[in-house]
Formats: sequence, structure tokens, C-alpha cells
Amino acid sequence: MKVWPLKFREHDHGELLFTNEAGGFFRSDQRFLERYVDGILTDDDFEFLRRHGHAYRDTSDAAFDGFCGRWARRINPVSKLNYFILIPTLRCNLTCDYCQVSRAPETASGFDWNDEILRQFLGSLSKLDTETIKIEFQGGEPLLRLDILEEVREFCRNNFRQAEFVVCTNLQSVSEEAWEFLGAADTFISTSFDGVEEVHRSQRTKESVVHSEFRSNLQRAFSEFGTAKVSALPTLDVHNLPDPDTVIRSFVELGLRSIYLRRVNYQGFARKRYDFRDTQEAWMEFYRRFVDRLVEHNWENDDAVEEYYLSHLLRRIFRTGVQNHVDLRNPNWLGYDYLVVDFDGQYYPTDEARMVSRIGRLDLSIGDVDSGIDARKRDVLNSAASNFEDPDCIHCVYQAYCGPDVIDDLSRYGRIDIPRHETAHCQHHTALFDFAFELIYSEDPKVQRSLGHWLGTPKYRTELAARLK
Amino acid sequence: MIPLRVAIDPFPISVPLVIRLQNDGPSEEGTAGVIHRGQGFVEYDVCGLSLTVRTPDPDALDGDVVLILPGQRSLHRLIRNGSPHNTFLVTEQCDQKCVMCSQPPKAHHVDLFDPFYEAALLGPYGTTIGISGGEPMLHKERLFDFLLRVQERRPDIEFHILTNGQHFDKNDEPILQRLDRARILWGIPCYSASPETHDDIVVKAGAFETLERNLALLGKNGHRIELRTVILNANVNGLADLSLYVTTHHPHISFWAIMQLEPIGYGRQNWGREFFDSSQNFDPIAAGVDIANIRGLETVLYNFPLCTVPEPYRRFCANSISDWKQKYLPTCSDCSAINRCTGFFEWYPEERGFSSVGAL
Ligand code: SF4
Ligand code: SF4
Repeated sequence: MKVWPLKFREHDHGELLFTNEAGGFFRSDQRFLERYVDGILTDDDFEFLRRHGHAYRDTSDAAFDGFCGRWARRINPVSKLNYFILIPTLRCNLTCDYCQVSRAPETASGFDWNDEILRQFLGSLSKLDTETIKIEFQGGEPLLRLDILEEVREFCRNNFRQAEFVVCTNLQSVSEEAWEFLGAADTFISTSFDGVEEVHRSQRTKESVVHSEFRSNLQRAFSEFGTAKVSALPTLDVHNLPDPDTVIRSFVELGLRSIYLRRVNYQGFARKRYDFRDTQEAWMEFYRRFVDRLVEHNWENDDAVEEYYLSHLLRRIFRTGVQNHVDLRNPNWLGYDYLVVDFDGQYYPTDEARMVSRIGRLDLSIGDVDSGIDARKRDVLNSAASNFEDPDCIHCVYQAYCGPDVIDDLSRYGRIDIPRHETAHCQHHTALFDFAFELIYSEDPKVQRSLGHWLGTPKYRTELAARLK
Repeated sequence: MIPLRVAIDPFPISVPLVIRLQNDGPSEEGTAGVIHRGQGFVEYDVCGLSLTVRTPDPDALDGDVVLILPGQRSLHRLIRNGSPHNTFLVTEQCDQKCVMCSQPPKAHHVDLFDPFYEAALLGPYGTTIGISGGEPMLHKERLFDFLLRVQERRPDIEFHILTNGQHFDKNDEPILQRLDRARILWGIPCYSASPETHDDIVVKAGAFETLERNLALLGKNGHRIELRTVILNANVNGLADLSLYVTTHHPHISFWAIMQLEPIGYGRQNWGREFFDSSQNFDPIAAGVDIANIRGLETVLYNFPLCTVPEPYRRFCANSISDWKQKYLPTCSDCSAINRCTGFFEWYPEERGFSSVGAL
């Protein structure tokens, strides 16, 4: 019997978490570790390890193929370009605190797509090798350029078998034409809602008349279109964190069952001021408290609520082939399956890459609508697209579930070759995975009930939280 | 119950005939149009010959692709127009003798691949054809050849092939690579993660080991597999284990069909011993479903009347008993879920069936 390489990490109560490269995991103790290291595993050990996909008799054993299959299915393949994030204008009618770099005043000029860019963009669409397309309109405030949105949508509807559109709007000022545009069955709304009125107001809308306009538009969006078409994302400031229960309540009131907690992503000067190191602990403390409150909510109510990113991590832990979220996948190919097109026609691999470039620290553009993709530059960015060869990740117990974030490393440190454990991305994910495994091994029936909801099944099963005694 | 065979008057042919019946329009090659309707029968024009079909309802046959065998007094409705449940039974031979088999094997074999090929070409666009037996892979050269020929002429047709998974080997890899993997789903039964239990159920020593190897072979070659498990007293308590086993060692499996016992064939003979009353105790099934869900394996429950399943698990139930063998009970007429419910097999023995059934 052969055992696939195991990595381990100490978890609570001195138990050790063991994982393999195909994402299999179990908990055991120091004594097992010693047997493993000394090469004196017992028959019972082998039997357990094979049953759970950590060992095989020989290469003709189904357990061998099973491992290979699971390993392979965790690899995110390069897929066809079929998703664009467009910035038809950088102008915006709000001045949210953390958005200085990615907006221009409503009346400014020179911050919109011109006819040339629109024409070139549509031209590039017709060369795509895909039958389906997804377009996300961002900004600035994209509804300021409804004319461009109309034209892009019309073009896509006529040229692709299936087209889907998302308008990321602040819902501040929505004309009747805009409502009509948003009402189409293939068009979805994504808006920012910080979850607590005072927070939303202090960060974004500022004045109460402005705020009440937003509030009534938000209500209208939900009552007219429902949650199948409208989503809302909170952005939270670590220095001004809301009460979790209030956030949960206000999302539930809107009928939303999924909350994606994101913290303000400071750039440039503000990033120095709000250093990651000083805020990570406060953020995780809040995050855990928030999830505790979700667990409590789900215990007492039938309308279960999830934190989106935690559910994504849990799915990546238990399943293979979960590549649907571009923020965490492995390899995280940049500039292949989706592209950001800025107000000036430049291509960026991600929205963060666009913002980093905007503050002039680095130029992470990878071409433009006129000259196309700069393949050489894209290759350079993708040289570290996976964590397979990272000298730190290969020792990490969470490697199979995690994925790199080259852009975040570049934007914070200006380079990608610093020890993984010193990066914000790694520290944050280590903490998140630690937390996820605490939940997975929790004996609290309340936690188990929530896990069932988050993993899409009536009842969580502790058989999957294996323990080798 | 919808008849799959319909009586005909003697028809003078010496080779099997495949034809599409049509109410109107001139008969062209491969089709037969109605020339006369009488009391309880209808006459079709088959290339100048008159075919008399004894049916009170000729409209139900409109568009059907049928097979007539020399000397037989009935036609076989191979592809019923508008039905998603069309199956070609390619052989009645089998090397297993599963305790719940609905089509117990017979020794004799008649090769009908050529008429099946003609029928497939006449089928509606994008239709799914079931291939079943017996064990179709006992005639794998003929089967592969049939699939390749159809896929060349009719790349729109999908196949759902039921096989016991015992007859693949490494030499099949070149053909497996040539088959259109996007349009073939192999339905393969596995009853337990315990080799002994599985072998006992299929009554063949070593079957589990072969199956395990062949599931991997198909997976490695990129083929799509639906795993099929019939619930029996013999295996129900191992369902959680099976779920764990499948999701660990066979990650390439696309779907898992968990099925209640069908009261026909050996399933009817062994009903008393093997029927597990899941309306009394759904727990072992729930555990299997939950583990599969958490691991991301899509699971569907077949042949489970909705009222026998706890509410949270009803969303996994398919309304699936083939229309031609489906029935409902008197209590069902007051049930609000009847449109979503699979109902019962025609031959369902109510007195020895689920102890708790009742309108929702
Ligand atoms: S980034 Fe950190 S947490 Fe993620 S795999 Fe690498 S070492 Fe582990
Ligand atoms: S009463 Fe009949 S129709 Fe209703 S759920 Fe039960 S079996 Fe189905």
C-alpha cells in the first residue's frame, strides 16, 4: 500500500489536520504523525487512508485513479474569453469614501468611452469564438451612459446565442429609461448596500436626501424585479464595522440570502494609512462574529443566509471542479476568460489591476481594444498563475483549496516573489481556511445545520469530517 | 398504461421493416401514410402494400417509428413521437442475474442492430434513445459500430446506454475515444461499496472488482457516467458508505440515480425479501444523498412517490416512471403534488408496498 504525500497543520485542541494534493483531508493526532513519519503505519491506518482516498494498493487500484481524477478536476483549465467587465465611464454621481481612485466627477470630460472605442470593442466581440457572453457594466456609474449600454446589449443579443448583462449601479439616480433597460429578462442589477443605513450613508450617500433617493430606488428594484435579478454587496470599513445582526436583518428584509462581506480595498496612500497587518485581526474577529450570528439566525429561521465567500471556500474544500469564482481558483489565469475594458479602451486582467494602474504605481494593462491583447505581458503575469510551484504553498495544508492572487501581491509589494506567509492574501486565506475547518469539525448542531444549508443539502454529514483515531 | 406493441394483420415481409407512421402526407421513403380509417383499425400505405393496424386510436401512432418483424402479428413502437422514454432492447442475454432485474435474461439472441440503425435515422431531431437489455455490451462490436454509424449520420441524437459495466477493456480505448462523449451517458449500476454485497446482489463473483476497474477506464477516457443504485434490504444500510466510496474513488461520475425497487421480473419475485419501505425509514437514503450533495455529485431519486419522502428531500425526486408503466392510487386523486409525483408502477403490490402513502 502506498500513501499519497500528506501535509499537516495543528488545529484546535492539539488535533492535526492532514490533507493531500487532491484535497482529501482528515484529522488525527501526534501518534499517527509519528507512525507516518517513521513508516510504521498499521493495517487499520492503511485501511482508513485508502477508504478516504489517501492511499492505494497499486496503480491498477481504483483508489489510484480516483485520486488522479480528483487532483485533475481541481485544476482550473484555461477557458475561452466570454466575459467582459466594461467601464463605459469613470464618472460618477457619488463620492464614496474609498473610491477616490476609480471615479471622476459627474461633469468632468474625457472619462467616457468615445465612439471609436465602442466601435473597436464591438469589432473585437465579433471575432470571439464563443456562443455565450456575459457583460458586466461597471464604472463610475454606468447608467450615466445608458446609450452605450443599449448599444452593447443590442449588439450582443444579435451576435450570440445567449447573452447576459449585469449593471453594477449605485441606484442613485435612475431615469425611467434606465428602469426600462434594467427590466429586461437578460439584464441583472448588482448594487452596493453596506447593510446598515448609517454606515451606507456615512460612506456613500452622505446627505439624507441623497440617501433616501437611493433607499427608494433599492426598494423599487427589489419589489419590481425580485432577488433573482437584483443582488447587493456590502463593502465594510474595518475602522467602522457594523453590528452583524443589523446587517443580516437588513439583507433578509430585502429578501437576500447571500451576503458577500468585502472589506474596503484601500489603494495608494490610504492603503499605507490602513495597513493590512493592523487590520487583519480586527477583520477576522468581526468575520467570525458575523458567521456566528449567521449560524444563530439559521438555527432560528427557515430562510437560511450564507456568507458568500465562506460558502465558496467550503465548496472548494469538499468538491472538485469549483472554478466559478474568479477571486479564488487555481491556476488563476489572468487575461484569458475575462477582461476588464477601461474608459480609455485599455484592457486589464482584473478590476484591481485597473485600479493599481490608475494610481500610477504599476502599469498592469495587457493591451487595448485597438491593438488587442499584449500576449507577452499576459504571459509574464501568468508565470505565477498557479500555486503548484510556489515554494511555500507546496508545503501548505490548504494548497488544494487555495489559489494565488498575483495582482494583490503586485499592488501591495510591487513584486510576487516574497515569502507567501508574509503576504496579505496568504495570511487572510490561512485564517479563513482555519476557520472553515473549525466549522467542518464542529460538533455544535447549530453550526452543522448551517453547514448543510451552505453546502446545499438538507443535512450536514459528519462522515465527511473524518477522524483517524 | 400505454401499449408498446400494437396488433397488425399478417404482413408479407421476409426481413425486418422499420417505418415511420404518418397521419397525412404522401408516403416517402421510410414513411407510411394513412390510406384508410375503419372501425378499430387503420390502413397505411407501405411502398404500395397495405398494412392494417388494429387500434382504436390511430392518432396516438402518428409520427411513431415502428418495427415489424417477419411473421409477427404486432408492430413494435421503437420511437414513440414526443415521448422521452424510447428504448432499444438490443439483447435479452446477460451475464449477471441481479436480484431485482426487471428484464430477466434469456439465452436466445436476435441481432436487430440494422433495423435499430434505420429507426435512429428516422427519429426526431435531438431525441434521446435508450439502449438496454439484457446486457448490450455482450455484443459490443455491433453496439460500437451502431453508435459510430448513427453519430456520423445523426450527430444530434443522444444515447443513454444501460450496461452492467463488465465488458469494457483496455482494447476498447480507441473506440471510446472516437465516440461522441458529449452525447452518450452510460448508466451503470453499483449496489454497494462492499464487494461481497455487490457480488451477491448481481449474482456474479468478482463483478465488483471488474466494475470498479471499468468505471475508472470510462472516466479516464472522458466518458460520462450515471451511477445507478436500486435500494434493497440487502444494500440500503450501506448507502452512506457507497456515497463516500463513489465520490472518493470515482470523481468522474456525473450523476447518481438512486432507485426504488421495480415490481417486475425478479424484482417482483424477490419483492417480499428485498423491498425496503423507505416511507418508514428514509435515514439511510438521506445520508447517501447528503454526502453526495456535499461532495458535489448530483443525485436524483427515482421511483419514490413524493409522500413517502421527507419534505427536505422531495426536491431530489424525479417524476420519471415511464409513462407507459405508470399509475396512481385512489388517494392520489386528492393530492396537490400529483403533477410532480412519479406515482407507482403498473404492477405495484399495494398491500406489500409503502406503509405510508397519502395525499399531500
Ligand atoms: S497562499 Fe498561503 S494559504 Fe494559500 S496555499 Fe499558499 S501558503 Fe497556503
Ligand atoms: S398521494 Fe399519490 S400523487 Fe400524492 S405524493 Fe403520494 S403517491 Fe404521489
